[in-house]
Amino acid sequence: MFVFITGGGRTGAQLASLLLAEGHKVRLIEHRRELLARLHQELPTEVIYEGDASVPRILEQAGLHQADVLAACASDDATNLILCFLARSMFNVPRTIARVNNPRNAWLFNGKFHVDVALNQANVLAHLIQEEMSLGDMMTLLKLRRGRYSLVEEKVPPGAKAIGIPLKDLGLSDQCVIAAIIRDGKVTLPRGDTSFLEGDEVLAVTNLEGAQQLAELLAPSQSDGPQKGLNRV
Amino acid sequence: MNFIVVGCGRVGAELALRLYKSGHQVVVVDESAVAFNRLAPEFRGRTVEGEFLSEKVLERAGIAEADGLAAVTNSDTLNAAVAHTARAFYNVSNVVVRNYDPSLRTMIEAFGLQTVSSTSWGAQKVEELLANPSLRTVFSAGNGEVEVYEVIINPQWDGHTLGKLLELGCPCLPVALTRAGRSFLPAADTRLQTGDILNVSTTFDGLGALSERLAAKPEA
Repeated sequence: MFVFITGGGRTGAQLASLLLAEGHKVRLIEHRRELLARLHQELPTEVIYEGDASVPRILEQAGLHQADVLAACASDDATNLILCFLARSMFNVPRTIARVNNPRNAWLFNGKFHVDVALNQANVLAHLIQEEMSLGDMMTLLKLRRGRYSLVEEKVPPGAKAIGIPLKDLGLSDQCVIAAIIRDGKVTLPRGDTSFLEGDEVLAVTNLEGAQQLAELLAPSQSDGPQKGLNRV
Repeated sequence: MNFIVVGCGRVGAELALRLYKSGHQVVVVDESAVAFNRLAPEFRGRTVEGEFLSEKVLERAGIAEADGLAAVTNSDTLNAAVAHTARAFYNVSNVVVRNYDPSLRTMIEAFGLQTVSSTSWGAQKVEELLANPSLRTVFSAGNGEVEVYEVIINPQWDGHTLGKLLELGCPCLPVALTRAGRSFLPAADTRLQTGDILNVSTTFDGLGALSERLAAKPEA
């Protein structure tokens, strides 16, 4: 895939390295001298295009019309909006992804500016933190679909409410699926009549609400204190 | 009418005052309250302080009821984003954008927005006055790409036809000829007289070609 990145700050540079490592073709466009010096230390020369991304002629020279995806990563929201619009209306780029810097500008990042996907960084981070705080000892192994779903893991502690109850009777939300149970070092694929035992490692694919419900079912008996888990590193 | 001026720099403050003096309802928006100090004391319109792209700020400025919006900050990307927002999200019918950096003009044009390129327009005016002091602009279309100039016919073209003056690929359209205070639509076979005032519509390059032609002696 050919990914065209605008904005050579931390986000753009990090994304470029990540995509290059996965074998994608990447072009990053940036015109600020102070950033270019650092970019040239971090990325291969052929990836970097020096020029002002707000100028259509420069976007054309940099090959935007060949891109499969535009990632607008500038730290200025107006610039990201403009680039998504130009990418679609002038260069027919099939997919545009934009970074939202100021959450108050998020309302503009939609089809009217040809933004296909908006990533509101403050929102994403705030949700991740909130989730970490609400989930006690649950460990997030993998984020799916921009963090709306996760693969989580938790060990069943002594005295948990869920012990001994068949999964089908736990009343889990349909947005939460128990994917596997690791018991005595062996992976078991659970069925509706399987029930948790103390010491089981539970793997679940779930959204946040499902995870909170699961965390409650797997909470240790009250004597452990409610704050446990908040200071996990 | 209700107008919103986005950006209270020199252009914004001047524009707001002019609109206000013409009897319109004017709201000026800027991110910095200090910017409103540029407004003349006689300006009695409303000011709204806040982020340019914030929904709340634009709605406080009355964008839903605005008849027109001018985006005149000194950031071209911001101007284009605000103007496109006014049109695409609020259906503001008349939206005008100031183009500050001439290299970004094509970006604004990609949005199909009405653009005023004050920087390049100003530079072109100065260039005209320096390079062709005898020619006066009487009308400027768009951002000065095509203008109507006033040309005074000199004695060496007396008696020659207009067609002869404008022949040979001079990209000029004659608009009017004024003789002794009376104007008429000239034809190719109109004979010129010394002191005739000719109005031609042309580009900056066409004007150069016409100046050269006027200075040269007409061929027999």
